[in-house]
Amino acid sequence: MSIMKLSMGPQHPITGHFRFILDVDGDLVLKLEPDIGYTHRGIEKLAEKRTYLQNLPLIERVNSYCDSVGTMLGYLEAIEELMGLEVPERAKYLRVIAAELNRIASHLYAACLFSVATGLETMLMWPINDRELILDLLEKLTGQRITYTYPTIGGVRFDMSEGFKEEALKRLDYLEKRTEDYYKMLLWNHTFQIRAKNVGILKPSDAIRLGIVGPNLRASGVKADVRKDEPYEVYDRFDFSIPTGKNGDSYDRLEVRFKEVEQSINILRQAIKDIPKGPIKKWAPPIVPKGEVYTRVEAARGEFGYYIVADGTMKPYRLKMSPPSFRNLIALPYLCRNVPLADVPVIYISLDLIPMDVDR
Amino acid sequence: MIPILSFSEIIELILKVLIFPGLAFPLLFAMIVIWFERKFLARIMLRIGPLHVGPLNRTGLFQPIADFLKLIQKEIIVPDNAYKILYNAAPIIASIVASMSVAFIPYAPKPDGGYWMIYYTPWSLLVILAIFTARPFIMVGAGWASNSKYCTLGAIRAALQLLAYEVPIALSLVSIVIMSRTFDLAKIVEAQSSIWFIILQPIGFIVILIAMMAELSRRPFDIPLAEQEVVFGWPTEYTGTQFALVMVSEYFDLCAVTSLITVLFLGGWSGPAIPILNDVSPILSGVFWFLLKMAILTVIIIMGRGIYPRLRIDQLLDAGWTLLIPLAIIQIIITLFTAQWWIPLLGGV
Repeated sequence: MSIMKLSMGPQHPITGHFRFILDVDGDLVLKLEPDIGYTHRGIEKLAEKRTYLQNLPLIERVNSYCDSVGTMLGYLEAIEELMGLEVPERAKYLRVIAAELNRIASHLYAACLFSVATGLETMLMWPINDRELILDLLEKLTGQRITYTYPTIGGVRFDMSEGFKEEALKRLDYLEKRTEDYYKMLLWNHTFQIRAKNVGILKPSDAIRLGIVGPNLRASGVKADVRKDEPYEVYDRFDFSIPTGKNGDSYDRLEVRFKEVEQSINILRQAIKDIPKGPIKKWAPPIVPKGEVYTRVEAARGEFGYYIVADGTMKPYRLKMSPPSFRNLIALPYLCRNVPLADVPVIYISLDLIPMDVDR
Repeated sequence: MIPILSFSEIIELILKVLIFPGLAFPLLFAMIVIWFERKFLARIMLRIGPLHVGPLNRTGLFQPIADFLKLIQKEIIVPDNAYKILYNAAPIIASIVASMSVAFIPYAPKPDGGYWMIYYTPWSLLVILAIFTARPFIMVGAGWASNSKYCTLGAIRAALQLLAYEVPIALSLVSIVIMSRTFDLAKIVEAQSSIWFIILQPIGFIVILIAMMAELSRRPFDIPLAEQEVVFGWPTEYTGTQFALVMVSEYFDLCAVTSLITVLFLGGWSGPAIPILNDVSPILSGVFWFLLKMAILTVIIIMGRGIYPRLRIDQLLDAGWTLLIPLAIIQIIITLFTAQWWIPLLGGV
């Protein structure tokens, strides 16, 4: 049979704002070529035209609907390192709480998309329902559901409201119980297992060679987490483990995300218990001293790197991001060689790529 | 020579062809099942489902009708590259063929002998099997005629899927025929008057249920329509009325398949007579039991969409050839060995 060029996306039920150019032979995909850029907004260049403080809502929109706190923390870390600013303790804890809540929401969203990719729509609705509880919590904390602009230079914008602690603990307990249902419905579902197991196997050596980050790297069995390796904020004070997978297939990538949700619940409980009293914000000057800095944080999708060159004015001279989805994108053409067409959505969604994050 | 019918016979024929089990019944079945499927799946998924259209408050009972009215108002778009005759004919043929098999299924016995069915033939099982076999060819034809890549992929998948379910269906029908010693569906039902074939042939029932789900492209096996992979499979390019016809034809097929399994395994109309219905006509009582069994089968078939992910085409072929066919053959062997004890106990043969 001759080879057919198949254009998958950007108008396709599963690809999102991507386009894949596939070489299809019958039902076999020989080659996948991602075509990115449909959501390019020029955020890196825009950031040079705005002050450091004005950049906050902009940077957040790199990855707005899933993981805005995790995205912003790296930028703030970089600026605070240039300024030599020490953030108050309570603000650090609040940042961790917001980031971990956001990580849970993001991983639940990833599970939804994964079950859609295999055609199980029930598990689209269940985690989306429970993600709403987390978003409500974040609304209680920050005033917004999706784009919070919660952490700011020198601290956070709002303190915890009355009754937040109790409400948060209650909802975390519920979520922990609810995870059992997810395992029964999705991960222990035999039909799901034969769809997801041994699909898109990424060996640890390949994962390291390709520069894969985040849960995808950990699913391949490599213990790498910026929260443990180079603790930022107050992550060194919490007791949590790094879940890793065995085979590095699509199933492991989802399972690692579920286990990370459990670890995030663990961190949140400790943070809510230990949070000290004190100020939540320190005054920061609008001008950042001259210098350059690279910081990295563990966002929900993996390591988020920021390289900032400051020229001593109110605006950055250059801001370069290294978002996790862009770094994981390279695994997609690598894994989608000689696979059945039906496995392409599963591999693509299991990497948890976000077009906005890739294009910036 | 055309037989001359009496007035009451003409009335009966019109009732059969236009109302039950003819034109109105599959349409009503499709409407109720589409509504039920949406409500039922919504409950599984913690959603609400259709809500506002319809007579009863907050049930959305008429939502399928509203959707259908919306679809027939839409423009029919025919792709430039399409092979127009086949492309335009396929949805009409699909819905006709799908509703045709209902004509050969006996729904109830009449008190004065004979059966409540549109056309009686002693080979009705073979006729229905032949009608079912026509469906994949319509799918392949429509997919090819659309001349679109996703349609072609969907059509190839439909053709491959045919290999997985056609043989198990035929093989599990063999053991039914051995047991009842006839191809006549009405006689098959009468053979079950003392004991249903689901009890004598549980393996055959499971095989035929799974294979029929594959034939209907229901959830674990909706590979030709896989939304996430081939957009909508072979009917991707259809719009408006043509799309409505394609959709309705699937539910006509569901109607025919559940009727057939009811006849083959669940004893058709057999069941204790309902006094209220029996007073009006004994036919109604039989029809009631028939519809009840059909409804149970429909719920089972629909439930797959709520709890299973979709299989891959190679996994389905694998399951078809290494699991369903051996099981069907085992059922034939068991039937051959036990038939000598069972056949004398069955009634009506």
